[in-house]
Amino acid sequence: MRFAKLIRRNLFRNKVRAILTMLLLAVIFFFVATLLGILQNFETFSNAGEGSNRLVVQSAISLANLLPYAHEQKIRQLPGVVDTAKLQWIGAYYKEKSNFFANFAIDVDKMPTVFDDYKVDPQEFAAFAADRRGALVGKDLMSRFGWKVGDRITLKRQIFPFDPELTIRGTYVHPVQTTSVFFPMEYFQESMVNKGQVGTIWVKVKDPKQMAAISQQIDAMFKNSDYPTETFTEKEFQLNFMSMMGNIKLLFTAVSSCAIFMVILLAAITMSMSARERVTEIAVLKAIGFEQRLVLGLMLTEFILLTVIGGTIGSYGAHFIYAFVDMGKVTQGFLQNFGIHTKTLAVCIASSAAVGLIAGGLPALRASNLRVVDGLRRVV
Amino acid sequence: METLVEINNVRKVYKRDAFEVPVLNGVTLDVPRGDFLALMGPSGSGKTTLLNLIAGIDRPTRGHISVDGKEISRFSETQLASWRSRHVGFIFQMYNLIPVLTAFENIELPLLLTKLSKKERREHVKAALGIVGLGDRSFHYPRQLSGGQEQRVAIARAIVTDPTLLVADEPTGDLDARNAEETLDLLQRLNADFQKTIVMVTHDPKAAQHAKRTLHLEKGLLVEAVETAAHA
Repeated sequence: MRFAKLIRRNLFRNKVRAILTMLLLAVIFFFVATLLGILQNFETFSNAGEGSNRLVVQSAISLANLLPYAHEQKIRQLPGVVDTAKLQWIGAYYKEKSNFFANFAIDVDKMPTVFDDYKVDPQEFAAFAADRRGALVGKDLMSRFGWKVGDRITLKRQIFPFDPELTIRGTYVHPVQTTSVFFPMEYFQESMVNKGQVGTIWVKVKDPKQMAAISQQIDAMFKNSDYPTETFTEKEFQLNFMSMMGNIKLLFTAVSSCAIFMVILLAAITMSMSARERVTEIAVLKAIGFEQRLVLGLMLTEFILLTVIGGTIGSYGAHFIYAFVDMGKVTQGFLQNFGIHTKTLAVCIASSAAVGLIAGGLPALRASNLRVVDGLRRVV
Repeated sequence: METLVEINNVRKVYKRDAFEVPVLNGVTLDVPRGDFLALMGPSGSGKTTLLNLIAGIDRPTRGHISVDGKEISRFSETQLASWRSRHVGFIFQMYNLIPVLTAFENIELPLLLTKLSKKERREHVKAALGIVGLGDRSFHYPRQLSGGQEQRVAIARAIVTDPTLLVADEPTGDLDARNAEETLDLLQRLNADFQKTIVMVTHDPKAAQHAKRTLHLEKGLLVEAVETAAHA
């Protein structure tokens, strides 16, 4: 582009101002990328079971209330149900509370049918199934703690009155859930005073179109029992789990919007100053034949570049920092597999371009509409 | 001699809030091709306004202005911009170079609006720098040049597209006597050697002596024409 040099030189004509503006944008977009990254992390987590045709049955009172084993037998009889599995969230941690990750007791024999999206080496799975204190560990969690198959680990209690002592028998691979530990339901039940109860029953359904109907049937079946149920699709269940932390999405979106609005105002001030101090130069450009549209285009390009450079530095900065910082550890397990993904980067960079367009639009338009004689008169 | 600029009964009235301020009151003037015309007059007499109208950066309230057979007073803003890029070279009192560009890049600016290749643009710029005698300053920024050198770069920028007409508004107003003399000599040479038509506004009678003829304006009217002795 033949005007690239002119744009570049104008962009850095006041180096201190340009760098400070870019830094400001970088900081804001680092912050925005982090918030959007957290939201995307939640979104990814809530989509974890998408397409796996699973329903989750829990107590209608709360997730903390347990359901009797008998419920599972009845659910399995329903037409359209392929199989069921009991799953209990344990909430233990490894050595320190900061080493928090999801750990579950599970019906091991039902994993291949109900949780068929978790890929495990057959030999390792056989070893896991044969060991009452065996553990199946997510690939990323193995890397995080440097564990190997055969290692013995002890988890510390938080909710239930026992410290699971486990031997890692295998590693599983899953597109989203990569940092969980599974161990046999029987081992968990040993520690329970009221045996034969579990937090959730996971139901594998043959036809996804039947999920809503089966869900209603299950809840209707237990409506008048001592243990009424509430059944969700897996995505709904994960979203409900998230909503226990409040309307984080709304909060994060509001904070991000405020940050972007603030940066628009600050960028608009900078750009207005930049345009105002160049009135004579713009008049000269127009005098020698630069058309209004060209002047507008040059100025907008410059302003958008200013904000895009800042936005790119900030969002890519977040991308690289979170690639090296274990946010799972920093946030005590709140954020697992946290990172700034391509989609978030694209949103941040597009937003920074929009900031340039909105903040610079008016100053650029005013400059391009300037009458040559008025612009020259200001100085001469 | 063929007429390049035809100004016919031009009036210009500026509006200042509720008031109308007449600046030109029916000016009629012909500028032949190859002329070097100085416009003189007291402040507020309308000489810069007349220059702006000739250069196509302002429009008359009434009357007609034709340059090289084209009635520019009827052009749209876009047409005027395009026309100026091809036909007019500007020389300002304060030089008005772009401070973030080198001398070379400043001179190249009008050529960016043409279809010339980078190599062709470089050749044109070098030629213009050669004419103004600043070949060794091409990579200097305006802040690294003296006032006289800056004005010569501005002149090179004005002539680099080989325009039909050069307009100069007080080109020596900000220069010392020696640099002013050099600048006027250069303009005179552009007129004599390259047959450039020049219209120059000046307060300085010495500067006007470098022109072929001088016109005086008072209260928006042409009052006197003087043929300069040196060119008579």
